[in-house]
Amino acid sequence: MARGTDSRLIFVSGKGGTGKSAVAAATAIDYARRGHRVLAIDMVGRPGLAAHLRTPSLSYQPTEVRAGLYAMAMNRSDALDEYLKLQLHVPQGAPTKQVSTALAVLADTAPGVREIISIGKPIYEAWKDVWDVIVVDASSLGQFQSYLRAPRTISELVPTGNVRRQASHLEDTLTDPGITSIVLVATPSELPTNETSEALDVIGRESLGPEPTVVFNRVLPTSGISREDLGSLVEGAAGQAATLQLELEEEQRTWTAELDATLQLPYLFGVLTPGEVAVQLADAMGEAR
Amino acid sequence: MTRTIIVTGAGGVGKTTLSAALGATIASESNTTLVLTIDPAKRLADALGVEHLGDEPALVADCEGLWAAMLDVSSSWEAIIHRYADPVVGRRLLANPYFRAIADRFPAAQSYAASERMAEYIESKRFDTIIVDTPPSGGGIDFFRAPAMTNELISGKLLRWLTGSNLPGRDFFYRFTARPMLRMADMVLGGPMLSEVADFLLDLRTMYDALSNRSRTIERYLKQSTTVIATTADPTPIHETRRFFSELGGIDITPEAIIFNRKLPEAWIDASRKPLRGIDDPELRSKTKHNLSLWAAEARRQSDAASELSARYHVPVYPVPWVTPSPQTIDALIRLVATSGIAEDLV
Repeated sequence: MARGTDSRLIFVSGKGGTGKSAVAAATAIDYARRGHRVLAIDMVGRPGLAAHLRTPSLSYQPTEVRAGLYAMAMNRSDALDEYLKLQLHVPQGAPTKQVSTALAVLADTAPGVREIISIGKPIYEAWKDVWDVIVVDASSLGQFQSYLRAPRTISELVPTGNVRRQASHLEDTLTDPGITSIVLVATPSELPTNETSEALDVIGRESLGPEPTVVFNRVLPTSGISREDLGSLVEGAAGQAATLQLELEEEQRTWTAELDATLQLPYLFGVLTPGEVAVQLADAMGEAR
Repeated sequence: MTRTIIVTGAGGVGKTTLSAALGATIASESNTTLVLTIDPAKRLADALGVEHLGDEPALVADCEGLWAAMLDVSSSWEAIIHRYADPVVGRRLLANPYFRAIADRFPAAQSYAASERMAEYIESKRFDTIIVDTPPSGGGIDFFRAPAMTNELISGKLLRWLTGSNLPGRDFFYRFTARPMLRMADMVLGGPMLSEVADFLLDLRTMYDALSNRSRTIERYLKQSTTVIATTADPTPIHETRRFFSELGGIDITPEAIIFNRKLPEAWIDASRKPLRGIDDPELRSKTKHNLSLWAAEARRQSDAASELSARYHVPVYPVPWVTPSPQTIDALIRLVATSGIAEDLV
């Protein structure tokens, strides 16, 4: 399957409330529709991705949620076991059980451990070479940056050994634009735009990963009504709705101009379920291509 | 007695703006009011027109009786350590290379520091009303669980495992059981990380009695507070609202109201079904009609979501209108929540 310039590992992050889980689900659906074998990963254990993929819950074991699309949720204790056994190659005879207990109890406290386990999993899946595309519903902006920093944090704290070697492998994959891409989801209003712009600065300045692309979600279609028209509109609902629409269009013009987005996804009027939202966004992605 | 109102809800629903709006409204009725925000972005500062917001409450320029403060997590932990730890242990804790990393990233750290600050402001008796804008971690629920989680950190399985028991002589167990194991783990890992972290936690443990008493006091304050949940019609906030009701119930906290932000007028739903009069230009009439029908569909979705929440949880749902751009002045903040009547009902 030709992947063109698409990367294999796509992290989708964004400010809370911008719809990043919906965009992650839609991205996964879009790739699956084009015949790719896709794994969608919920990295933080929030219910969003499962709901958008119309499944009650996700487990650590990938399950097929629609043709060609598999999904899983992070579970740190399973991921920790996998990390120790498969990635650190803890030698035979070493006290694996004890090491694992020590790490498990301290994973919530020791700097970088929790993050390296969480961000490690999608990367191992990429190394396995069984998926064409892995789409990660990553945490919101601030936490995502500390995940991206984790391999470096570990390298600084641990001078030698397997963990350190492993951390630098992870960093190599994470910063390789041929493998990894980062999508930041914003909505065209002040706070999401500003926070996205700050995250872009930090990721660039600290070289935490390839340059992210920005997707604007919930972009209102233009109504074609103008300011001048408003004067002739009658009072009441039609005039109020037109006024709100125009004010939002103006706000939207201001903020979409702030960031160079590769894609704009439409505001979905009156759409009720997370499953419908993801499918309609995937339709929009298809049309935009 | 100080009345405390906690505004919680999913990220992006406008908690900070709503907190500021409630604060401005309540202060304008001659109550001395503090708005405490935890968000690291200087959002409240923007909305209130305050240049610099820090731990120390600052008087808001254009609104008599309104104070604002923003939590600084690291300095809050330093304050907690100075207050509760033995001076020698305190100095060692603050000098520990992991202190800052841990203080900033322990999942409940931000929430615990926030609840501790809230308690301090309640005890200062300086304010008639305190409005707390909850931290986003754990979807806001962490704020209510922070005292219990902090207790768990210092008394829970982690330290029991490290120290062997709660009895005197725990250092003995640490030295002879957990410590060698950590050393071994560190050898495999290639660094002294785990044993140093363990040392840090053992120091933290000396604050156990003080922190555990404090946690109980804070839990009492949380239960005495009025909790309101902010939401919008989007799937994630609605889902989070349901989660708040089910999970807060488990810790004996009952949310008293829902603020439904960015609510469209329900009158649009009926209006969209009627013929549109008074526009002569057919093209403009068709555009306007189409626009109204889109927004009416949105109003319908919101109305269904609001009725469902109200019926399921038996709490009032206060609609706050969709205003754009977001309010930038005190007057605009007060206008934002004026029609909902929520400030009058809460106070």
